[in-house]
Amino acid sequence: MSSHDTTHAGHDAHHDEHHHDPGFIWKYVFSSDHKMIGMQYGITAMCFLAFGFYLMMVMRWSIAYPHQPLPEWMSWIFTDGWKARWLQDGKVTGETYNMFGAMHGTIMVFLGIVPLGFGAFGNYVTPLQIGAVDMAFPRLNMASYWVYLIGGLIMCSSFFMESGAAKSGWTNYSPLAGFADGQVVNQFLAGQTQWLLGLVCLITSSLLGSVNFITTIINLRVRGMTWMRMPFFVWAMLVTGFLLLLAFPPLEAAGIMQLMDRVGHSSFFMPTGLFTKSEGLADLSGGGSPLLFQHLFWFLGHPEVYVLLLPAFACVAEIIPVNTRKPLWGYKSMVYSVLVLGFLSFVVWAHHMYMTGMGAAVSTFFQTTTVLISVPSVVIITAMLISLWGGSIRFTPPMMWACAFIPMFGIGGLTGLPLAFNLADLHLHDTYYVIGHFHYVVAPGILFGFFAGVLHWYPKVTGRFMSKTLNHLHFWPSLICMNLIFFPMLVQGMAGFHRRWYNGGDAYLAKAQDSVNIFGNSVAHNIDMNIMMSMGAWTMAAFQIFFVINLLTSWKFGKKANSDNPWNATTLEWATPTPPGHGNFLVEPVTYRGPYEYSRPDCDEDFLPQWIAPKNAAPVEKPADKH
Amino acid sequence: MADSPEEIKKAVRTYLIVGGILFLGTILTVLVATYPPFDVGAHGFDKWDCILGLTIATIKATLVASIFMHLNHEKKAIYWLFGSGICAVISLAGLTALALGDPIFDKFFYSGH
Amino acid sequence: MEIPYIVTPRKDTGLFNSKIAIWLFLASEVMLFGGFFSAYVFLRLGADYPWPERTLPVLPGLINTFVLIGSSVTVVFAWASLKMRQWRKFQIFMGITVFCALIFMVLKAIEYNVKFHHQAVRLSDYSIMEGHLGFEMAGDKPVLDHKGNKIEENLIYVETSKLTFNTVRFHKPWVEEFLTEAEHKNSKIVLAADVTAITKEGQKAPEIVAKAGEALSIEFLNRLQKIHLAARSHNGAYRTAALRGEWVKAHAANPGKRDWQIASGVNIDVKALAPKLLDEISTVAFKVDPPTSFDFHPRDIKEADGQSTLRDGTVVDGKLEASPMVFHHVDAIDFQYLVMKAVAKGIDPEVAIQNSWLMKNSPFVQQAWKWHLAEMDKLKKELAVHHREPTHKELYRLGWKDLARMAEEEGGAKISGADQFKEEFFGPNYEARGAETFPEFSLPREQVGFAAKFSPAWNTYYAIYFTITGLHGLHVIGGALVLSYYLFFGKKMYLTNPEWLANRVEIGGLFWHFVDLVWIFVFPILYLM
Repeated sequence: MSSHDTTHAGHDAHHDEHHHDPGFIWKYVFSSDHKMIGMQYGITAMCFLAFGFYLMMVMRWSIAYPHQPLPEWMSWIFTDGWKARWLQDGKVTGETYNMFGAMHGTIMVFLGIVPLGFGAFGNYVTPLQIGAVDMAFPRLNMASYWVYLIGGLIMCSSFFMESGAAKSGWTNYSPLAGFADGQVVNQFLAGQTQWLLGLVCLITSSLLGSVNFITTIINLRVRGMTWMRMPFFVWAMLVTGFLLLLAFPPLEAAGIMQLMDRVGHSSFFMPTGLFTKSEGLADLSGGGSPLLFQHLFWFLGHPEVYVLLLPAFACVAEIIPVNTRKPLWGYKSMVYSVLVLGFLSFVVWAHHMYMTGMGAAVSTFFQTTTVLISVPSVVIITAMLISLWGGSIRFTPPMMWACAFIPMFGIGGLTGLPLAFNLADLHLHDTYYVIGHFHYVVAPGILFGFFAGVLHWYPKVTGRFMSKTLNHLHFWPSLICMNLIFFPMLVQGMAGFHRRWYNGGDAYLAKAQDSVNIFGNSVAHNIDMNIMMSMGAWTMAAFQIFFVINLLTSWKFGKKANSDNPWNATTLEWATPTPPGHGNFLVEPVTYRGPYEYSRPDCDEDFLPQWIAPKNAAPVEKPADKH
Repeated sequence: MADSPEEIKKAVRTYLIVGGILFLGTILTVLVATYPPFDVGAHGFDKWDCILGLTIATIKATLVASIFMHLNHEKKAIYWLFGSGICAVISLAGLTALALGDPIFDKFFYSGH
Repeated sequence: MEIPYIVTPRKDTGLFNSKIAIWLFLASEVMLFGGFFSAYVFLRLGADYPWPERTLPVLPGLINTFVLIGSSVTVVFAWASLKMRQWRKFQIFMGITVFCALIFMVLKAIEYNVKFHHQAVRLSDYSIMEGHLGFEMAGDKPVLDHKGNKIEENLIYVETSKLTFNTVRFHKPWVEEFLTEAEHKNSKIVLAADVTAITKEGQKAPEIVAKAGEALSIEFLNRLQKIHLAARSHNGAYRTAALRGEWVKAHAANPGKRDWQIASGVNIDVKALAPKLLDEISTVAFKVDPPTSFDFHPRDIKEADGQSTLRDGTVVDGKLEASPMVFHHVDAIDFQYLVMKAVAKGIDPEVAIQNSWLMKNSPFVQQAWKWHLAEMDKLKKELAVHHREPTHKELYRLGWKDLARMAEEEGGAKISGADQFKEEFFGPNYEARGAETFPEFSLPREQVGFAAKFSPAWNTYYAIYFTITGLHGLHVIGGALVLSYYLFFGKKMYLTNPEWLANRVEIGGLFWHFVDLVWIFVFPILYLM
């Protein structure tokens, strides 16, 4: 196996001759190296994820025990003043719940998952897999991270404002979001405005990132790395880049217009004659369209789902062939599917808006495209499933997560189908069914894919494996708890539980204990599930500690990886020294074959890396890439 | 791509001509909008003014893109990259306009007024 | 470590890195402006008010178009010069380009400035008056506020006797304004009554936190805020602990019961808790002695006779004074919106106009309308020859050019030449044309339906106009900065790696052309349609 490595002893000394030590700050903080930026993204995103998770735990308390004060183990994080302002006798108020709900969604989507998938995995792995020395624009890459961090901090710091953080849902629909916090004289001190400023920063960041990614993938592929020799991971990142590039700007436009509405008192999204309880008849010109905001938002919103999803697909698609020791089944059809997926995701957005009074023709159009887009994602997930068939599966820690990803994402995807149909959606719209559906996609789906990715590339980053025991302690409880949390949501949703009840339906119990809704269910039938789901959420939080411990301790004490290619994988990132130095490769690699050459009958070993020259050493291929 | 100095010298002439056309196009646009004898369609602004104005603007924009921005002899990859943006913007503008033009409300709902 | 294809193109794609990047960036820009133009279409087609057609002055827009087209030509010349290695020529052409950007921004600034000083008001009956607001005058000198600014006559005056501040939410600059205003008018703002509160746990009787007569100051409010917040935290902690205790008891007493079944019986024992709680001071009242007239911007106050409320929660007690909106110069009267509303109700437009408040109360409007009707008759006859009709705007709007023409016909001031040319940029020339063309008018406050400057607030047209052109202006500034960087700091790179500089200028130029390209659409859509 060592013959396959491009590493040779003493490479570090050799390497350092060219690069004098840049000093701690430039190496770890203001680094322009794609790997360091990837790790910065990863660590920051995980912190935000933890914070978003915490917000959710508080919300789950309010849902399960709306009459009881928030217990100390959750409220200790607040200052006394904050508790006095935002809790009533220690109980979570509706306003606070709305604030946490809006920020939970925003943080998880914009500050957690996207940076983790695209920023962290994409940054670390993509250039390695195409054999590039770095991203095409390293300093732009750094700027992208810092703008993201600033945007995130602006959003989160709004919790400390007198009027609190944004509280109009993560979708921030006008006119609700237009007049929320309107009593604040200096609008830049209102959470609702800071949310928009943060959003503009985040969009700028992903714009810089996506330009960089696409340029890198197009222009910095190493010799022999033709389009159809790129690992699926790279394809997925390419499509994700395009989605970010083209879908985000309309939301930026919407964000700027909403900012104008708030700061400049314009009426882009404020209809004529708007009357609110807090402000009376609005002192605005009116004439704007709340629907316009929804169009611009969901034009981003739907591709955003694929921005979240594709990096997870990408990780899983890399892990499955390595651990089944057979090529990815249907690589080409997966590639074409992901391209079709990217294209279709631009024409499905209004299925989020069936309830806004669109006519039958437009609804039918969006219903059709929505059902169509399930085809490519089913092709991808099926290809992954078939890839398992007949393989000699190694249940390594990353493979456990990857195997769990497939059915979990499957549930998430399939529960989406009823929502795609106009008629079914009329009933399910804004119920817990929707929450259950997209959390199945994002939490046990996408997050499981990312856990798999972390475990898979950890040996490349650190030279050590993560602990198997700790992983078992993390994996099994997570798998069980995820289903404990989200499956009851589907049941509750079909029984008509509204997604924005801050007290879990309690108010409806008091008023009409025995009344039965259109599904033949009363709220009382399903309300006790709230407690089970909340327990599940808190238990899951406890078991995430094992992951953190695993992540930190394995850095120093994990089992050492015995080579640069410990999983016996075939893609180019495993041709680098461990960890890869600045500039990645010691010798510029050449790609001779496709990315998943496992178990070839004509080889001695069960894998044939992309960078190994064929035995009857043919002359090096010219880049045969016809564009 | 005009890369050699001779080719560029030739191209400079083209740039001047295109610049001239752009000037004339602008004047024509203004005349159509403000000078009564040039007014198409009904008196004042109507859909024909809109169509004519946007057509002239599109021609001008095409000239800028193809000559000044060298899109007339650009590499294939650029067409793909920039074309994806154009497709996306058509989808955005077209489908929102479609949605606006097909509201569920009709006279039945409004007959009460 | 060297990143490849920075200067030379990659063979198979034929492109260097930044070329790909700029086109990707432009694709994204297309989406950004595409979002705004979609918004424009959406707002215009969905507008429930008469969309202001062809309302902007064409001349500055036209000149700006020429300027941008010209700069587009010069920037491509500058790139060509670099390719031919003619540094001097590059400098000249790039210099012209940057200068063009400067002219563009100056013209834009003039255009914006005129709008921001132009007032519009929609009356309660939907007729619209436009013009220039007057300033408060003492004799022939304008009255200045405490900051030295002129005071526009569009304020709401309250003869204030009492001010009640919210100790948490009060807006500091407003408090400062109260103080300086009061000092200016020889009045004092002092605490109305003793503020007493229990500030420490176990205190038997309330202590006097502040004595009546203490003067208002921000430090004072901050001090009360501190006491209030401390009390709030203290009480919150006790109440939370008490409720926790109650729930423990309730669970023990009702085994197996769900929370919602027993929640109504679980309450804090307020009586037992009371001795431990502190007093919160959420508001504090000051009296203004002697009562003084304060002015407020209409957007900041919800006015009512007796008690008005400011946006920061401050309650203002006092008599509402007459607060008319005084136009120093009226320069347009617009019945389009009124007619639209009338037609929707099946009322004849002319009847609706005759019944409007303006027609009934302003001799000038009556006279102007009479003149206008005669003009319209003439126009109708002229157009009838070509089987055409006047537009809605021509029929129901009297713009400043119409008013000027009317005054000229009736022997008013005439202006010509440079003055007239200037009017195309800066709008109506009030000084030269005088009060008989653009008369003064005082509009009672209760007739004001909605008022704004010609800013994004006035209607969705101006909102989208300012947003698109503002964003476009930012692009112009950004592009000009990048291009002038190449112009002023490019020499070094020109000497070491001219091809790289040429690439960079090409990239910068591509962006500049795109800015021009956006303007090619902005100009007809916002100025001519």
